[in-house]
Formats: sequence, C-alpha cells, structure tokens
Amino acid sequence: MRTHTNDRLKGTLDLLVLKTLASQGRMHGYAITLRIEEISENVLRLEEGSLYPALHRMTQAGWLRSEWGVSESNRRARYYSISAAGRKQLAEETQEWTQLTSAVARVLSLA
Amino acid sequence: MSWFNRFSNLFRREIVDKELDEELKFHLDARTRDNLNAGMNAEAAQHDARRRFGNPTLAKERAHETNIVMWIETTGRDLRYALRSLRKSPGFTMVAMLTLALGFGANIAVFTVVNGVLFRPLPFPEPERLMMISYQSKEGGPGLFDRDYLEYQRHVQAFEQIATFHEDSATLTGAGEAVRLPTADVTSSFFPVLEVNPAMGRAFLPAEEKQGSNRVVLLSDKIWRNRFGADANILGKAITLDGVTYSVVGVMPADFAFPHEAALWLPLEVGGDPGNFTTREVVGRLKPQPSQQQALAELEALAKHLPPLPVANREDMVAEVLPMKDLVVGKIRKSLLIFMGAVAFVLLIACANVANLLLMRGTSRQREIAVRNALGASRGRVIRQLLTESTLLSFGGVLAGVLLALLGVPALLALAPAAGVPRIDEIHIDGLVLGFALLLGVFTGILFGLAPALQATGNRVRTFLAVSGPTLTARRAKLRSILVVFEIALALVLLTGAGLMLKSFMRMRAVDPGFRTENILTMTVDLPDASYPTAKAIQAFDSSILTKLSNLPGVAAAGAVNFMPLQPVLIRGDFNLDGGRKWPRDYNVAKLDVSPDYFRVMGIRFLKGSRFTDQDNSSAPGVVIISQSVARTLWPGEDPIGKRITTEDDPKSTDWLTIVGIVDDVRQRLTGQPLPAVYQPYQQVTRPFFLSHMSFVVRTAEKPRSVAAGLREVLHEVDRNQPVSITTLTDLADASTAQTWFQARLISTFSILALFLAAIGIYGVLAYAVTERTREIGIRMALGAKKSHITRMLLKRTLVLVLAGVALGGCGALVLTRVLGKFLFEVKPNDPATFLSVAVILAATGILAGLLPAQRASRVDPVVALRSE
Repeated sequence: MRTHTNDRLKGTLDLLVLKTLASQGRMHGYAITLRIEEISENVLRLEEGSLYPALHRMTQAGWLRSEWGVSESNRRARYYSISAAGRKQLAEETQEWTQLTSAVARVLSLA
Repeated sequence: MSWFNRFSNLFRREIVDKELDEELKFHLDARTRDNLNAGMNAEAAQHDARRRFGNPTLAKERAHETNIVMWIETTGRDLRYALRSLRKSPGFTMVAMLTLALGFGANIAVFTVVNGVLFRPLPFPEPERLMMISYQSKEGGPGLFDRDYLEYQRHVQAFEQIATFHEDSATLTGAGEAVRLPTADVTSSFFPVLEVNPAMGRAFLPAEEKQGSNRVVLLSDKIWRNRFGADANILGKAITLDGVTYSVVGVMPADFAFPHEAALWLPLEVGGDPGNFTTREVVGRLKPQPSQQQALAELEALAKHLPPLPVANREDMVAEVLPMKDLVVGKIRKSLLIFMGAVAFVLLIACANVANLLLMRGTSRQREIAVRNALGASRGRVIRQLLTESTLLSFGGVLAGVLLALLGVPALLALAPAAGVPRIDEIHIDGLVLGFALLLGVFTGILFGLAPALQATGNRVRTFLAVSGPTLTARRAKLRSILVVFEIALALVLLTGAGLMLKSFMRMRAVDPGFRTENILTMTVDLPDASYPTAKAIQAFDSSILTKLSNLPGVAAAGAVNFMPLQPVLIRGDFNLDGGRKWPRDYNVAKLDVSPDYFRVMGIRFLKGSRFTDQDNSSAPGVVIISQSVARTLWPGEDPIGKRITTEDDPKSTDWLTIVGIVDDVRQRLTGQPLPAVYQPYQQVTRPFFLSHMSFVVRTAEKPRSVAAGLREVLHEVDRNQPVSITTLTDLADASTAQTWFQARLISTFSILALFLAAIGIYGVLAYAVTERTREIGIRMALGAKKSHITRMLLKRTLVLVLAGVALGGCGALVLTRVLGKFLFEVKPNDPATFLSVAVILAATGILAGLLPAQRASRVDPVVALRSE
C-alpha cells in the first residue's frame, strides 16, 4: 500500500489502536500491527514504523499504559494496555467516527 | 505517564533512547521471523520487514517528539546546529545582526521611555484609584471651579477624599543665595489623597488652610539637603519665602515631586466667595468599590444641581473622571506613541532586509534542505530548524539592541527639550523593557524567518534535482521584490513625517515675531509683596536697576516690561472707552507696562505718534501706546491718537489714558497669532499687582552672555534678596520651538535610518539578481547587447521597484501623516511640496543604490559568465 494511504489513516490510527487494545487486552506493537491487518482483511495496512509515535503519544496522554514483558518468543517486549481514560477516549472517538461515516454515507447515497 | 515521569526522563534520556531502539528492533525482528516462517529467504525477509516498517529514524524521532525531554533536546540540537550554520557564514550573520540591532536598538530605547513615562504606575499607593475630576467646557483643560470643588467635596460619595492644588513659585531667601523655586499650594486633603506622608514631621492640618493662621511649609528632600544641610532639627524652624516667614512642619520623602518638580508645599484655602472664578486641577481617591464609571455617573448627577455660573455656560461643560496619570503624561502621550510607530517602521524595514537575506541564503541552502528532506525530515521539522535559526539571529540582534539602547536612551533624553519629558527619573531599562525586547525578538524572528522558511522548504527533492528551476527562481525574485517595495513604502512614510516636522520647524523659525531676538539678554524678577508692598516701591527698584544697567559696559540700551514675549505669563483684559463707545465683547488685549526704551531695545516697529519719555511719570497725565491691531479693531478708519481709554469703571478725570502712539503687533509665542496689546509707562501704573513680575531687557554690543555677570551684580547691588534669572531671547525662542525641533530631529533620525536600510535592501536585491542572472547577461552580451543596454535593463527594474514603493508609500503617508496634524505649524499633513521632495529623495537614493549592481552587471565578461555554469 502506498504511503499516502497511510497519511489518510493517520487520524484514525488512534481509534484503531484503542479499539484493538480494548478488545484484546495487553499487546506489544507488532501484535497490534498484525491484529489490525488481520481484522481489516489487509485493507488497512500501516507503515509499521508510524505506529510507535502514536503509541508513545497516547501513553503520554494517559490513554495507554506500557510495561516491559516477555514475548511468546521469549524476548523482552514493551506491552501496551488501555487505561480508563483510554476507554473514555475510545467511546468519544467511536461516536465521532460513526457520525462522520454515516454522514458521508448519506451524502454519497443521495448526492 | 505522569509529569514527574516526563521530567525524570530528563535524567534518563539514554534509557529512553535504548528502550525505544529495543522496541523497534523487536518489531523488525518479529516481522523478519514471520517472513522466514512464511518461506522467504533471509535477505528478502529482512528487506520486506524494513520496507513495511518505513523509516526507523523517523519513527524514532516522532516517538521522541512526544516526550518533553526530547523536545528540549531537539531544540538544543537545533540551536547548536543553528549556531554552527550562522558561524559558517559570518558575512551574512554580521549584516543581519547589525540590521536587526539598529531596528531593535531604536525600538528598545523608545520603549524604555514609553515604559517609564506611560506604563509605570504613579509612585503612590494604589495609583489606579487616583482620579482627576473635571467639570469644564471642552476647550479648557481638566479642572473644577473652586465653588464646584467645594460642592463636590461636600456631597461626593464615590471618593474617599478629593483635593485641589495649583502650581506657583516663590523666592527663598536666607538659605544661601536667593532662589526662585517651584511651589505647590495644596489643600490639607492633598497628601491623604495621594497617601504619601512626610518622611519627617507631619502634613498640613485642615485648620492650617485658613489664611491668617500660622504660616507653615513642607520641604522637598532636595531643598532640605541642598539649602538646609539636611538639618535634623529643621522642624519648627522658620524659613523666608517672598519676604514672609513660614514654619517648617515636615520634609517629604526623596522620591516625591508632585505636582511636577515642586520643591515646597504650602497650604491652600479654597475660597467660596462669589467673586472667585478660579479653576484648579482636582484629584481624588476612589473608594475601593466604586468604578470610574460609577464615580462619573455620580459627578454628572451632582453637576445637574450646581448653581449657575456667571462666567461660563453650564450647558457647554462636561463632567469627567480621568486617570490621574493623564495629568502627568497627557501632553506627551501622543508624541511618544508616534515615536513608537516610527521605530516600529524602522524595525519592519530591518525585518524585510533580513528576510531578503534569508531568502537569498535559502537559495544557496537548497542542497542542504533537500538532503534533510531525503533523509526523512518532514517539512515542519525543517521549518522548525530554520525558525530556530532566525530566532537565534533575532536574539543576537536583541542583545546588541539592548546595548545600543543603553547608549540610546540617554541620547534620546538629551535631545528632549528641558522639562519636556515628565517622570524622567523613572526612565530606565527594567524587567518589562527586557521582556518587551525578548518578545520582540521571538516575534520578529518568526516574522522575518517564516516566509523564507516556507519558501525554502516548499519544494521537495524534485526541485533540487532540477538544479536551477526557472519558475522557482522567478518566484523567489518576486517575493524579494515585494519585500523591497514594502521597505521603500515604509521608508517613504517615515521620511514624509520627518519632512513635515522639519518644514513646521522651519516655518516656526521663519516667523517674524515683531521684535529682534539677537543680542538681547533678559533678567526677570518676581518682587515679593512683603518687601515691595506699593507700586512706588517697585518703581523705585525698577528705575534704579534701569539706570545701573544703562551704565554697564557692553550694554547699548536697557528697557523693562512686565510680561516679556516668549514667556508663558501674561495678563489680558479689556478697557473702557471714552465717548460712550462700547468695548467689543470677548476682545482681550495684553496689558503691558514698559519703560520708555523698551520698544527701542526690542526693535519693535514704531508706526505712528510719539514715544514714552521719562517725563511720563505718576505726576504726568496718563498715556498709552497701542498696537496696530487694537487701532484697527477699535477705531477702524479713524486716527486713534488722542483718543482716551481707562481701566476704571467709574473714571475720574485723572484715570483717563490718552493714546499717544501706535506700534506693531508682537507675537507672545512664535507659534501664536500677533497679540493686540496696550502699553502703559510703568511709572504711571498704580497697582503693584501689575508690576511685581518684571523683566529687564538689555541690548548688547557683543555676545549677550558676556554681560550676564554685570546684570547679576546690578541686581545684587539693588536687592541682594532677589534670585537671579538671566537668559537670552534667542534661548527663549529656541525653547519655544524645542518641542517641534525634538520631534523633527527624532523622526528624521529614524527616517534616515529607514532610508539607509531601504537603500541596503535595494542594493542587496539587485546585486543578488545580477549574480543570479550572470549567465543570462553573459548570453545577452555574447549576442551583442551593449553594456549600456544591460545597465539600462537593470536600472529599469530598480525604477519599477522604487516607483511601486513610492506610490504605495505615498498612499500610506497620506493616511498616516494625519496623526501629526496637531504637531504641525502652518503645514498641512498632506503638504504636496513635502510629499514631492521626499519622493524625489527616496527615488534618487533608490536609483543610486541600484546603480552599483547595474554597473557591475555591465562589466560581466561573457566568456567568464558562460563558463561559470
């Protein structure tokens, strides 16, 4: 997928990450990448490096918690989980997203 | 992450860095492993992992950016880089810094004055509660009639107390040489309103206001130190003012000098008698609750109930409550704001110049920026780096500017007319000024850095590959041209302002005042009633001084007048006319009392009739000389000589004064209209009130100052207790135009600075254009273009820029010079001659600045030029 698709995704990346962590619990960055690709049936493909600034930013904002753990392959990995503030943020962003998409859908079907 | 964590990261930067590396590496390794598991070979697996991941450095940078520590870190790195990059091009840095330093220096210096005069709170407790109260007609200055003051004082609720005062002067004797000092007569509420207490002793008691009670005085700290040797036992001691003894009740704190530079304070009784129409300034301290609006509402309500005044129409009067600071700074505020505007223009021009320099530099840094882009730096990141650089440059300029201002502020104040700047002791560079300077630095750093930064980063790698993209060069050249046009326009506005002020000044100095100012020395005395209670006593004093002055070596002639031209004091009024004629309503003439030789000494033109002689004394019949406008107004088409006037309402036959001569009108102020005047021989004046203030004028053969010592001696011989106040008429004339001269000089200085900067701007842009177009010029010349043709081509470009700037600036000046209106004398703000000559000066300077590069272009050697690519 080309870079600009990634740009278009930027605003929704937070939403995807929050949703993934809310449903899956504790995950490391790579697992989050895989999960998003898998669920979206490879339509949403991230430039994987861009995930990390988002994770760090959301951690700073208090939406995510991070801790070091051991991965399935026995390596040290940083694990992220969603905080209460993150769940609240997720609820808000989900609502906004739904409103936006339904509005766009209406315009597309009628206009 | 908590704030604590963010800050603790400051000390864990390396850990953060390492952990981030580890996290990213984990991701890449996990992807590689999955790829291997999916059957890729090792190389392909790694390559795919990298490709999917994107730019790891960028990811790391971005992740870092969210961290405050890293933000600081990045800024630090940017600063170091900026410093290195500025050091690498010392020529550019020097020119940019110097330009900015000039702009900042002027701004900081003027702001320092504005801050000290306008912004600093008055040196009283809770100064924001101090208000000036006024109920006057619009034309009059703020103040109250004494009777209104008494009414307000009785009824007003919004104020804790109100006080009134007026400024005067008095002669102090018996404490060193006699000296004339500024004094203030104040009500006993004056010090409580200001909430200032004497440093020693006490303030006035209400009972001390009453005339006839014990006479008391408060001393300023300066007088106490200079005249009384800081005598610790001064309280209760007697001092002599105007020949009367007063008992010292207190000494004010060292920093207290209000109103103006008052050196002594005396109690004031506000008389409620019906004949009192004195108006004075009134200040009050608002109660903590009421606002200025509430106080005003109350005063307006009270004003409705005030009894009518015989001397003024209540309908025309407006109630006002003004901040007390207006009383102190009201007159100078507008000119200070104009100066602020002028220096802001200079700074804008400096910014435009530096922006131009940065634009040119941007062109040469294209490669560097392209490399940074290619390495993954986002546009925002590069802009941030470039802005860091321009802000750093700006701060360098601020630093140099503060140093310039340290020298500039005293220079500025030295230029100012004496006593022209209130609160002069409070003018110095303080925290607020430095804050202003820093803010200005950041703001201008971004102002002049933004456009070049946007331009430099606006084109990605592609542009770099197409090395000298013609469109890009053209776009940059256009922006540079716009900046230069803008500079020229700003410079033109400033120059026009300066031109108007200078023309005003020249007009003022070209005025014929009706008398000569050269070689005249003057000495003014204020004789106290206590020592000179009668007109006879004063006349004896005057005639003995006059005789001695005429015999002084170096003195050609000596005369005397009670109210000398070019001085602020004057008595004006009306007379009664003989033969049942009515004196015209609202017609006031100056009432001047002179010695017979006065007209000759001053060179006042004698038009008709006969002069006063020494025989016109108290035993001779009363005579007057009138000025020609009085003759025209009162006796149009008639000969006024032989007509009679009188000052008395019920004249006895001896009260009639016969007109014996007509002289030319004289201007009291250079900027004022010629003044109708009636002159009386001083020997025939009966009221001492008209004579106590007297100026002696002597015409000297040599430099007037050389006989000053002689005048001093004469005064001492006659009365040792009179303070000496000697000056030349030329000095007085200079003083009366000093304000305009100051403004003209200051605005001229700023506009010359602006012209200089704009010239540099024009030169820079054209010189760069020549460099940029060397190849083109080479081709043209190779194809047979003549040198003169090349020069003309470039000059044409200069001309277009200059004309566009002049046109734009002319429009701007038309709008902006209107603010000068009040300061101009016999010159309209849109004076066409000034506009035209300023435009010519600017155009000539512009073309001169463009000539150099144009000539260089014509010397381009086509062979060299074509090879250079």
